[in-house]
Amino acid sequence: MANFTPYTYFQCPCADSVLPTRNISSDSPSAASGTSDQDERTFDPRAPRSNYSLYPLEHLLYCEDCHQIRCPRCVLDEIVTHYCPNCLFEVPNSIVKSEGTRCTRSCFQCPICIAPLSVSAVEPQPEGHGVADTAHVGQYVLNCAYCLWSSKDIGVYFDKPNAISAQLARIKNGGGQVITPRDRRKDREGRTREASMGPSLDDDGVQEDDGPKLDPNEVLDPEGQFSNLKSFYQSQIAEASPTSALGFTGGDYGYGSPGALSRIMGIYTGGTFADKKVKSKKANFREARDALEGLQIVDLASDADAIKKLQENRWQGTTSLEQRAEQLSEAPFVSDLRPLAYVLRTKRSKRCKTCRHILSKPESKVQTTRFRIRLVALNYIPAITIRPLQPLAPTQRSLLTPRKAVQFLLTFKNPLFENVKVSIATPAHTPGRFKSKVTVLCPQFEVGANTDAWEEALREGGKGAGGEKRRTKAEAHEGQNQAEAGQVWEQGRNWVSVVVEVIPPSIRMDAPDFVKTEEHKNDEGPLREDEDVVEIPAFVRVEWEADAAQDDDTGNLASMREKDGREKRELAYWCVLGLGRIARE
Amino acid sequence: MSSKRHSTAPPPPKPPTQFSSTSSLIIADAASLIGTHLISLSSNTIIHPRTKLISTYAPITVGSNCILSERATIGLQSEPSEGLSQGVVIADYVVVEVGARVEAKSVGEGCIIEVNSKIGKGAVLGKHCKIGPMCVVAENEELADYTVVYGNGMQRVDRSGVEHLKFKMIARQVDVLRKLIPGNLPKFINRT
Ligand SMILES: [Zn+2]
Ligand SMILES: [Zn+2]
Ligand SMILES: [Zn+2]
Ligand SMILES: [Zn+2]
Repeated sequence: MANFTPYTYFQCPCADSVLPTRNISSDSPSAASGTSDQDERTFDPRAPRSNYSLYPLEHLLYCEDCHQIRCPRCVLDEIVTHYCPNCLFEVPNSIVKSEGTRCTRSCFQCPICIAPLSVSAVEPQPEGHGVADTAHVGQYVLNCAYCLWSSKDIGVYFDKPNAISAQLARIKNGGGQVITPRDRRKDREGRTREASMGPSLDDDGVQEDDGPKLDPNEVLDPEGQFSNLKSFYQSQIAEASPTSALGFTGGDYGYGSPGALSRIMGIYTGGTFADKKVKSKKANFREARDALEGLQIVDLASDADAIKKLQENRWQGTTSLEQRAEQLSEAPFVSDLRPLAYVLRTKRSKRCKTCRHILSKPESKVQTTRFRIRLVALNYIPAITIRPLQPLAPTQRSLLTPRKAVQFLLTFKNPLFENVKVSIATPAHTPGRFKSKVTVLCPQFEVGANTDAWEEALREGGKGAGGEKRRTKAEAHEGQNQAEAGQVWEQGRNWVSVVVEVIPPSIRMDAPDFVKTEEHKNDEGPLREDEDVVEIPAFVRVEWEADAAQDDDTGNLASMREKDGREKRELAYWCVLGLGRIARE
Repeated sequence: MSSKRHSTAPPPPKPPTQFSSTSSLIIADAASLIGTHLISLSSNTIIHPRTKLISTYAPITVGSNCILSERATIGLQSEPSEGLSQGVVIADYVVVEVGARVEAKSVGEGCIIEVNSKIGKGAVLGKHCKIGPMCVVAENEELADYTVVYGNGMQRVDRSGVEHLKFKMIARQVDVLRKLIPGNLPKFINRT
């Protein structure tokens, strides 16, 4: 609150093409009707919609073909590579599709504190520190160097120090074996064979080699339950409709197919889509009967177990909300936590939504941070920096005094290699309930080209030449009231500073009626968040002459061709200048 | 701040010290021991350069095989309240990392006090605690054995049972540091 850093946000013009902004908080009908002529309308930085179109200059891109600013809303993202942030290995698309978006090597995060886990050996324990531990000699655990959690805490040990991911997939918390989907499938196939051949084979013990025999009353983990349920209902669908309309047999006929979707739609929309044949078959569906088919009956004893666990382990034994959110399945207790495989990150390229040209393309190699193409707005439009004209003493509070004129310096820095003409327009009063009076002392000026600094220095041969106009500290102090209208304050090689004067309003809620603005009279609500910040909407127009581009017929800007291959360019956009906070009286 | 440094001013008086062994204890030349109360250090302990032991308000006792790192500050920094007259007591195998500030009443065996953490006045740390980097233990707070303080004031109990391994690691680290840090014990000897 005490410290306020002035800021500049730029409005991406794509916001205009969507919907006119409307101040929702003031629900006067005139707000909607007044937006008919969009060009005349003053941009209101406080309108709720403005939040979505204002960006710092560093976040914006620039399309050289459309000659327009591009914000995250009007670019298209394309994934260049997936990679693991921990081991920096690139993960091919096919693996991402089959294995999901987590690292499948040995990269894990601590489930307690999200620090990276490292693999370490359980060292032999000669002093007999416990019988349980000696069983794990020569084995490995994952451990966290930060909070000292280790996979020992959940009873998980590994045989090899590599391919932890594959090993972890087979080990339950506590050390038990996870029944893999492959085993489940095998078991199911065994059962269907058994059913078709009749139960008489049981006595011969033929199915002994079919892997582990699954228990119909097994307590399933979420993945196991999902795979059982899925295969059960798939077989049900297969039985209900032996051949689909296209002649496929039921096996591949899942809920993803268009026919099935329209049937589901039919169920919910009152039978317009559903044909009667399917309806009659629906009756043949039966529900899952046991764990092998994915049915899990809520066990009341498990609640009692949980309460007992809670009493034993207390608060320390439970997990926090953040820890639970990271877990793939429900984990109320610390003993339920699983190490978290790192989520993959992506490198993305960005395209202009309008013309599909690439605006930004990173090098696809994970280790390099270079870009092949990077058209950032910073290189095309002048950056605006704000500072107070009278430097504040360090002890002085940076708040603005109501009804006292204060002057700020706006410095425009030109990144282009051509001179640019800049004009700024601001409303005389800022929009909103508390209106600041704004005067830009020099609304039109020219900023020099961004030429080589050394070249310039050598050619001009000294300070003060070439239109350089720098004020010394003393001058600045003496001349604090002498900022002349129509004159730039300071200027250099590729920058110009102009003065803007602001008279902040009083933000008293109990002010007498005659000082209140129209908006304030209509809305007597309490002071809203950041309503005491002086934010000035400014319309900036930049004009320059550039070498004519080859194919410029799509440009939506007024670019008129002139002789000798030069053409006039123009770019106009709204900015918001955040100057300071008004002091309370 | 009125305490301007004058090079001409006489050096502050040495605090009384008591060393259990003079051969295995290493106190770097640039370490500073200041104050008026007794500072007692035990064998195999390493005091890095620029470590500060301040016994101005109360005595300091450090056990054996401890490592006190650079810019760590040990000792009370204000007048002791009731029950803190014995000052700061640090047990064996304690590692105090760089920039940590320890004003605890007692630090248990095998504790690790990480970089830039703060242990408030009168706090009691049990055995084998770990105070994470930048973490703070409040004044008069008592931590049970095996407590790990991490993150934004979070705590957990670590029962991994690898204390003896840690002791071995610290002993090895002490052996290495003894070769690396030239000690200047005689400078600090002041029997009273
Ligand atoms: Zn946009
Ligand atoms: Zn990885
Ligand atoms: Zn951790
Ligand atoms: Zn474009």
